[in-house]
Amino acid sequence: MALTSKEYYAEIEKVYKKPEDYELAGKGNGYVRVDAEAKVTGRALYTDDIDLPGMYYCKLVRSPYAHARILSIDCSEALALPGVKAVLTGKDFPEGHNLGNPEAFKELADKEPLCREKVRMVGDEVAAVCAISEELAEEASSLVKVEYEVLPAVIDPFEAMAQDAPAVHYPDTNNISMYTTMVAGEPDKAFAEADYTDKYYYKTQQMVHAAIEPHGATAKYENGEFTIWTTTQGAYVSRFWIAWGLGVPESAVRVIKPSLGGGFGGKLDAFAHELCPAKFAQITGHPVKCILKRDEVFLGTRTRHPIAFEIETAFTKEGKLLAKRCKHVLDGGAYGGSGIAANALSLICATFPYKVDNIDMTARRPYTNKPASGAMRGYSACQVHFAHDVHIDEVADALGIDPLELRRKNGITPYYTGPTGLQYTTCAFDETLAECANAVKWAARDELGEGEGIGLAGSGFMSGTGFPVLITPHYASSSTMVRLNREGYATVFTGANDIGQGSDTVMTMVVAEELGLRMDEVKCVQSDTTLTPWDAGSFGSRVTFLGGNAARRAVGDAKLKLLSHWADEWGCRPEDISMKDHRVFAGGDAEKNISFSEACFGYEEKNFGRCVSGVGSFAHEGDKDIYVKNRGNYAPAYSFSASAAKVKVDLETGEIDVQDFIFGHDCGRPLNIRAVEGQIEGSVLLGLGFTCFEECLYGEDGRHRNPTFRDYRFPTALDMPSIKSITCGQPDPEGPMGAKEAGEGSTAPVGPAIGIAINRATGLKFHSLPITSEKIWRALKEHEATGRVHFGDEGLAEKFAAVPQMRNVRHESTD
Amino acid sequence: MKRVIRFNLNGEDIEAYAPENMTILDFLRKEMHLTGTKRGCEEGECGACTIMLDGKPIAACLMLAVEADGHSVVTIEGIMRGGRLHPVQQEFIDKWALQCGFCTPGMILSAIALLEHNPQPSEYEIRDAIAGNLCRCTGYAKIVEAIASAAEVLRKGA
Repeated sequence: MALTSKEYYAEIEKVYKKPEDYELAGKGNGYVRVDAEAKVTGRALYTDDIDLPGMYYCKLVRSPYAHARILSIDCSEALALPGVKAVLTGKDFPEGHNLGNPEAFKELADKEPLCREKVRMVGDEVAAVCAISEELAEEASSLVKVEYEVLPAVIDPFEAMAQDAPAVHYPDTNNISMYTTMVAGEPDKAFAEADYTDKYYYKTQQMVHAAIEPHGATAKYENGEFTIWTTTQGAYVSRFWIAWGLGVPESAVRVIKPSLGGGFGGKLDAFAHELCPAKFAQITGHPVKCILKRDEVFLGTRTRHPIAFEIETAFTKEGKLLAKRCKHVLDGGAYGGSGIAANALSLICATFPYKVDNIDMTARRPYTNKPASGAMRGYSACQVHFAHDVHIDEVADALGIDPLELRRKNGITPYYTGPTGLQYTTCAFDETLAECANAVKWAARDELGEGEGIGLAGSGFMSGTGFPVLITPHYASSSTMVRLNREGYATVFTGANDIGQGSDTVMTMVVAEELGLRMDEVKCVQSDTTLTPWDAGSFGSRVTFLGGNAARRAVGDAKLKLLSHWADEWGCRPEDISMKDHRVFAGGDAEKNISFSEACFGYEEKNFGRCVSGVGSFAHEGDKDIYVKNRGNYAPAYSFSASAAKVKVDLETGEIDVQDFIFGHDCGRPLNIRAVEGQIEGSVLLGLGFTCFEECLYGEDGRHRNPTFRDYRFPTALDMPSIKSITCGQPDPEGPMGAKEAGEGSTAPVGPAIGIAINRATGLKFHSLPITSEKIWRALKEHEATGRVHFGDEGLAEKFAAVPQMRNVRHESTD
Repeated sequence: MKRVIRFNLNGEDIEAYAPENMTILDFLRKEMHLTGTKRGCEEGECGACTIMLDGKPIAACLMLAVEADGHSVVTIEGIMRGGRLHPVQQEFIDKWALQCGFCTPGMILSAIALLEHNPQPSEYEIRDAIAGNLCRCTGYAKIVEAIASAAEVLRKGA
């Protein structure tokens, strides 16, 4: 049996600080974000702020058609414009080197850096121009003449799967980019024996990340090396795909992530706006910048998968969930990229937060001629928990059981193992439900006035996914190095990518805590492929968990070396020595202590001048094949959440007022309560936007109807309810200093809580998102006229009945 | 075409040579190298480019640089005094009222503009004053808290 990483690092754990001695971790508001001052003064540098002498500017030429063949591209007029330096088309990039997401599937990657023969969505990139100013580049881009043969487009995911549908990519595949199944137990038997069975349909819409910072990149080429500053959530993954797309070794590409103005999953993929300026920098010898306009971010980056659901459940009359069958159809848009994980995630999320032993689930991800769907915060979980948890409420009504009780009866408990092998550790799901119910006055919900409703919902999420984006020796790991400096400070080199969530602060805190230093005595060097060690990126709620553990192991490695030296000097054991207040204390003898600097100096003196340094890594010890087999454990821990929303709906106008919002989150030990609350409050904004505001609209021609913040509205300060955050649960034994994730899982129960509250307030059943005031108003009118109760699931039964059996599937994962 | 403009930028009277078709957002960023004012949407919706024109918050992406002629402009780089943070800046730090930070400069200028004419705003007035500044990270809760707290600090004359 091979050594586990926990066994490998066991020696180091001896010198870890004990929880009772923590001075920073979990101690409230004792310190501030390490990047806060740079951000409030406007000094923090984002990608667009990097200005280099002699800078040129790149503008992409985009398709006006959803689906068309490229007949010719004429750049002569653009090149003739004074100030234009170069142009690029698809032929300038090596053929077959398409952009994708997991390295293991790179031969199947489907996005050309610039389209060669076909465009597959409005906004697809067909050419790029480089000029001495942004204005000239823009003007030149309009002079590139592209001749197209327009092809029929598929906009609806169900129509895309029809036998005679035009092929977005590959003929005779029903446009399926990914087909996934998950089966366990004896679902047919459970359904046959159940007291209660049902079948319901739900649907969610296309949403976008809408990070306030648009995507962009700045590139230079020197000494045979590309340097690219880019808006990425993972410098190493970007480096891999940029190098692959350019056809150069990874050693020739350096990717640096400057301050990032929000990601939410939308900045995980590799894009033309990164490869084109790099190529231009090589051609022209000048640094080149390419920053997208807002409409380009809508059209040319990524979106959240719209998902249609068919859900069947089997319960006993007492309310025990026996079995679940479901079909998920995910609208993939035009490309794969980070989107190919969506299927598996959608099925995995459907197995929690309620115990279910017998399952039969499938997910299909058809291509359509729309912007590509990809990862988005609460990846697949937001859609799945909306449908599956609104469904739980319908079951409760049908069985005549209190919805809170039905949830508590079936909720996952600590150290439960799921039907496909998910291994839960700590779990305070029941506590999150109870706390939310208590705070929202669940017991008194019968006393609500007309138009008022309370919704309660639950969810779970993986804490530290092991999704192996790139092939690494210890897959999907995070690595960190720590150096102790005899001048009285330490430096942490972390591959973790701070995208705004505050990971630099977490890594700094972990190192400062272990070494007994102040926050400002730890310098954080982050996400630069030349300076920092390997990290898979900011996604899957992995950064605090994996990166935090890696940082702790790295500082532990350094600390053990330092303390072993002084243990020899002092005749004690390393674990008897403590580090606090910038000093090193021999155990049990408060008089015997030296400064941090003296301690480092003494070590270096005995070690031929070598500095004290440590290396650490952390990876989920899972099976690499989980994404292919959908069996086994997916993450080292899982977080759990519940939400309660109190809404008042104006029954005349349909206007929705979310009056109160309660969030209960089990994130283990919250390392910083302000940071955790910030994640929760931001999650409520995304969840409220998802539920009541946001939707990308398309015409039959595949044109985006609302690619602006004027027409794609999301909550402002005036739209947000007051939010009460309650942290629940116990420190997790696997987490860094006991922490679990607090960034993505917190998005998932918001939608169903608000949706259910609206259902309760109106007496109607909304099955699709968004539930806007207009939709409510129309539904109330129709209900008055016809008595209809269910809205938003129209036509889905017929569509699901026509879903084809799978054949010729390119990406298949099944057990 | 370029034109010489004279205006007060962050407390200093300056003369500059501005392209007539350039927004003051691009002028500040590209010509003055003041990159604290952010480009978020360039259509007046997100508020990331908020600056103060004669004490009022405006979207810099919707105004030409030449229109600043004869006026006073304050950007995020111009609100510290003698190397000390403005109380609104300090409260944003202390209350963890930022995450990615991209909306922060604009948010802070909207807040300062509010507090200059309304030293004791209600929660609704704070939310109303920043309703033109979109934030995708924080849910606004800690921002509202920081502005209320800054108002108190300013009232006490700290």
